[in-house]
Amino acid sequence: MTTKITIDPVTRVEGHGRVTIHLDEYGHVKESYFHIVEFRGFERFIQGHPYWEAPVLVQRLCGICPVSHHLAAAKAIDQIVGVEPWELSPTATLLRRLMHYGQIFQSHALHFFYLASPDLLFGVDAPPEKRNVVAVALENRELAVKGITMRKFGQEIIRAVAGKKIHGILAVPGGVHKTFSPEERDYFLNGKEIENIDTMIEWSQEMVNFMRDYHIKNRKFLDEFAAFPSGHLGMVDANGGLELYDGKLRAISSDGKITLPDINTSDYQDYFSEAVAQWSYMKFPYLKQVGRENGWNRVGPLARINVCDFIPTPLAEKARQEYMAFSGQKVNNSTLYSHWARLIEVLHCAELIKELLTDDNIFGNDLIRTGTPRLKGIGIIEAPRGTLTHHYEVDEKGKIIRCNLIVSTTHNNDAMNRAVKWVAEQVISRKGTLTDSMLNQVEIAIRAYDPCLSCATQAMGKMPLQAELYNHEGVLIDEKSRN
Amino acid sequence: MKNPETETNSILLIGIGNSGRRDDGLGWQFAEEASLLIPEGIDYEFRYQLQIEDAMLVSRYKTVIFADATYENTEEGYSIRKCLPASHYFYSSHVQSPETILYLCDEIYRKKPQAFTIAITGYEWELKNGISNKATDNLEKALASWMHDLYPSLRIEQDKEQTSKQAF
Repeated sequence: MTTKITIDPVTRVEGHGRVTIHLDEYGHVKESYFHIVEFRGFERFIQGHPYWEAPVLVQRLCGICPVSHHLAAAKAIDQIVGVEPWELSPTATLLRRLMHYGQIFQSHALHFFYLASPDLLFGVDAPPEKRNVVAVALENRELAVKGITMRKFGQEIIRAVAGKKIHGILAVPGGVHKTFSPEERDYFLNGKEIENIDTMIEWSQEMVNFMRDYHIKNRKFLDEFAAFPSGHLGMVDANGGLELYDGKLRAISSDGKITLPDINTSDYQDYFSEAVAQWSYMKFPYLKQVGRENGWNRVGPLARINVCDFIPTPLAEKARQEYMAFSGQKVNNSTLYSHWARLIEVLHCAELIKELLTDDNIFGNDLIRTGTPRLKGIGIIEAPRGTLTHHYEVDEKGKIIRCNLIVSTTHNNDAMNRAVKWVAEQVISRKGTLTDSMLNQVEIAIRAYDPCLSCATQAMGKMPLQAELYNHEGVLIDEKSRN
Repeated sequence: MKNPETETNSILLIGIGNSGRRDDGLGWQFAEEASLLIPEGIDYEFRYQLQIEDAMLVSRYKTVIFADATYENTEEGYSIRKCLPASHYFYSSHVQSPETILYLCDEIYRKKPQAFTIAITGYEWELKNGISNKATDNLEKALASWMHDLYPSLRIEQDKEQTSKQAF
């Protein structure tokens, strides 16, 4: 007989997930599962549509990172019209990158200020009504103002490039449909109308320093919480530097050995396979040559900082070096270091946005390139949450006949399950009751991966949180819910 | 680009919804048609959902109107109500109520715009474009009320304020 604890759904996470924890008769954790119980089936839905619709349609997967889906799909569709990433015009590449960095900047700001900061500022034992951004705003007005302004800045970049903040369109097959104007550029540089990019860089540095100091003060907790060995996957440039838009895929083991040696993104199928489980709609990607058991990888900020050799912007590189020194110059396998890594990426994106805004090539009029059409296209980018793959195959008439999406949260499926198990074993085992603090620690472990369950299963939804604790005879002995 | 600090009108109308979900597009349609009827003097915005940063946006206005579809059966097919700040918070990063936005606006930016919600009853919510005929009737009634009642009263307030400013 086992005891089963259900947490349904997980809050402050996009989409609908459920956690069940099974205890044995002695109250020890026997198994734990992070179930993804929604399904939307975008991969099927898009079949039959013309290829050029893909970048527009797939961004409807999500209101949180539509830009990432838009750009990954666009990169794939470029190949279908016969254009490789390096064959795009300089203006098209720069504007797509600008949009991408604006997206990562605003998405990471959202995660840090809206989702993570309540846990960090108030602690895991704070009452539920305090663990939200409204409480952060009330207690730390300056932080709230900066958070909102930074997110807004990233959204304004997207709006300027794509026409609107959510579901705007920039990329078209083989390029972009609009250029940038000096007036649009000045809006972000001169600081007259909104806080300018220099302020964004300054605030990003402040946030990185805040997080470093937080780690210094809370080192034991952050080192140990949901720490477990895993592989790490991310994109790097030709020199091994952090790359977010177009590069090679590299994976390393938990102790830093190369398990995927800088492969071309178009070859991903040769190296990755996806397993399924009866209890989840979300798949489990893994490296074929390493095997299902150990071939899974974390993706996202923690993995990217682990995988790259350096960051090619000076302030973020300095921040990375501090982070690495703090981590003992080793691969970091502690889940909660994701937040620090995420803020280093915020700083990196702010620096990159400044570089792009000061490059006059963004004003060019050479926007679209053409090539010899093909029947297959694979687009991979580093989305805010990690490596995002869009793969399309079309028939001779250009209709999509196959679509495979591997989103970041799917890569992190094993890692999130492992994190939940860690919390269950460390916090819930042998207690025989559920507290808000316990539930929140389960959620903190999942939230560190910034999962977007809507994307991962291509679904949307949210419900109140409910948790149930059964004794080893299956009798309900404790129950908690959050509406 | 427009300077949002200095070039805003004093009234903001936000249409909330998703035109790809039938009557969920009522808020957008209301804002769209209102912008054709009153193209000057009001700023119009369109949102899938209200988000926390909208607190910054509404802080720049004296009056804010939130137009949205509702499942509720309203007596006239729509309802116009005064909207007041309230601190309830949704467990989501990207869905907040008008009341929460006003609350945050007050707490963070120390601004208290007067606000109204225009809720228009809808009936069909599937994944499809186009507002149902029954909901279109409600939309027209809501627009008529906006044009003949609420907007004129806001204009009178605005004119009075300008007159008193000029007097000083």
